[in-house]
Amino acid sequence: MEDKEERIETSLVAIVIDATPAKKFASQPLDGSSMMNRIFDSLIAFGNAHLMQASHNKLAIIACNSKSTKFLYPSMDGTSRSYHNRPGQYDMFAKVDSDVRHGLGELILNDMTDNDSTKSDSLLGGAMARALSYIHRVQRELSLSHQLKPRVLVVSGSCDSALQYMTFMNVFFTAQKENVVIDCCMMDTDSGLLQQGCDITGGQYLHIPSVAGLLEYLLWVFLPSPSCRSKIVLPPPTKVDYRAACFCHHKLVDIGWVCSVCLSIFCKFSIMCTTCNTEFKLNRPAIVPAKSKKRARIE
Amino acid sequence: MADEDETKEYRWESGYEKTWEAIKEDDDGLLESNVADLVARAKRKRAALKDTGAIQLGMMRHLFVVVDASACMFLQDLKPTRFLCVLKLLEVFVHEFFDLNPISQLGILTTKMKRSEQITVLAGNQKKHIEALQQLKDLSCEGEPSLQNSLERAMNGLKNMPAYSSREILVLFGSLTTCDPGDIQKTIKSLKDNNIRVSIIGLAAEVRICQEIAKKTGGTYNVLIDDHHLKELILNQVQPPAVAGSMEASLVKMGFPGGSPIVNDGTSDSSADHAPAYCLCHIESETSSLMGPNGYNCPQCGSRYCELPVECKQCGLTLVSAPHLARSYHHLFPIKPFIERAQVRETTHCFACAKLFVEAETNVIIIVNFRLCLFYHSLPFLFLLKVYECENCNQIVCLDCDLFIRETLHTCPGCASDPVTAQMKTN
Repeated sequence: MEDKEERIETSLVAIVIDATPAKKFASQPLDGSSMMNRIFDSLIAFGNAHLMQASHNKLAIIACNSKSTKFLYPSMDGTSRSYHNRPGQYDMFAKVDSDVRHGLGELILNDMTDNDSTKSDSLLGGAMARALSYIHRVQRELSLSHQLKPRVLVVSGSCDSALQYMTFMNVFFTAQKENVVIDCCMMDTDSGLLQQGCDITGGQYLHIPSVAGLLEYLLWVFLPSPSCRSKIVLPPPTKVDYRAACFCHHKLVDIGWVCSVCLSIFCKFSIMCTTCNTEFKLNRPAIVPAKSKKRARIE
Repeated sequence: MADEDETKEYRWESGYEKTWEAIKEDDDGLLESNVADLVARAKRKRAALKDTGAIQLGMMRHLFVVVDASACMFLQDLKPTRFLCVLKLLEVFVHEFFDLNPISQLGILTTKMKRSEQITVLAGNQKKHIEALQQLKDLSCEGEPSLQNSLERAMNGLKNMPAYSSREILVLFGSLTTCDPGDIQKTIKSLKDNNIRVSIIGLAAEVRICQEIAKKTGGTYNVLIDDHHLKELILNQVQPPAVAGSMEASLVKMGFPGGSPIVNDGTSDSSADHAPAYCLCHIESETSSLMGPNGYNCPQCGSRYCELPVECKQCGLTLVSAPHLARSYHHLFPIKPFIERAQVRETTHCFACAKLFVEAETNVIIIVNFRLCLFYHSLPFLFLLKVYECENCNQIVCLDCDLFIRETLHTCPGCASDPVTAQMKTN
């Protein structure tokens, strides 16, 4: 039975950008403007390109650094700023541009007070959690004639933070449940956690060799929606390392010992679990009746 | 249910329940906001009740589901028939069960004609169970059920399971009678000795023996009110139960396949690991698939499997991937319920979803001076809107985000966005 009513497909892209100043290329100037400027120019251009594809499309941009996370677009300031749009420019593009630059400025200024900000990890998990909550809200608010196709694009240059493992995994499982695809564009290093996330949700993971070409990679690989990606030849999927890290040394293990109470992983057999403090009973071999049979035969 | 509170009056004693008074129209004559509000409050109450803190939960579960297939299951009080309704809900249950308990195992039994039959053995493979449930739809329901036979058969399957796992039986019983070969009290006693927890969902009326079985083994017994209630009761069984107290903890050896990734230029460390091979999970069926380097190799014996989690047929090692274990971690680190507050003027937006908090405006006439004229002002009264605050990070979220965080996300975005609280509590 064919569904005669066609629901309007609304595609929502939530861009999560990692704005940690510790990235080593952030301060290197290139062609007069700094790399950071170029990255954000590319992102705004990508966001506008997405909005241009269909009038129903929606966009959200969230930035994070090691101190906090912030919604750049839609802006959470109550004040309406005046946008200087060029004559003939679509109003929404000017709004996105203005909100992102203003919000980013505030985010960086907040960070300048602490000198130790380069040492702690970027709060990517929190930013992704906020993105998912925003997607959940838009899903509820959209009328029945629209069908929402959400996805999250993570643009980052930071390595994995082992301490945020739980947050990342909760975000990935929630995304899988809510049918949200997580794509990832890594600029400098590889991130095993984000690779797992892209694999779990069915998204695209790409490690780009040169940051100067960021806009090209975004437009060619990440702009098409997941439904039409099967028709395009995209970079091949990376084989994800699904090994777990043991809780005692944080080394990846092939065969590990798992506590049956709290499911923490250890590389060596030990008497007590350090996470939940339960004592383990050694496994008794259950061959007792066979032994007595053997004795009976000998005698 | 009536046995539990004896202080409650009977229905004919307490007078009429005026349920229509709970619903009121708002200013525009619409009921929507009121209904949504009531639903949200009910949800929140339920979510708050569930929060029991960090108690020991049985993570590795071995569960047998016994479906009554006797003649009474053809009754149509649940549409289309009781049997089909139960099977449909069981498919949802199986899906949710493996979603939330990825390293657990499930088996299905039916009981009819005074006997019990095994439909699927205890296995961790979701698809096999769902296929078996779909094939069961053609089964004819006849005869009498036998509670003792089905419990004995389930017990035989569960007896040999390791001691650290939580052994459970879920019975969906629609009949008011049972036809048993022996003394069911002996069965109850041996269930208790083997630490098997039996939960029963009654589809007809409350049966005394079911209540006794559930009580003695530490399970629950519920009788359904309608089909929505049945769905709720079945899905309640998805959550891991609290440990009865006599469960032994031990370290289980598990393998994590999916080791070193393939190097891009085609060469790899051990060519045997990536050569095409038959997967062992399908080797007995005719559709055994020859697969390229896409599967998972058991780290102990090297046999190839196409999907996880699985128990290696050759060496007996349980193979899982790290996300499977991580799925259950949120039970161990639950988030504290948020505090309900009246809205403060400074926080205009919800932290999680950036929604603007709508202020409820009411018109108030202020009498400045009796002798002077009355001033008419409209002031926003904010006490009608409730917002929710996290204890650790003091961020404010709206009601919908609170429910989303509690039920699905299991992480507070505020705590994850604060450099101090973003660290994991363990390690």
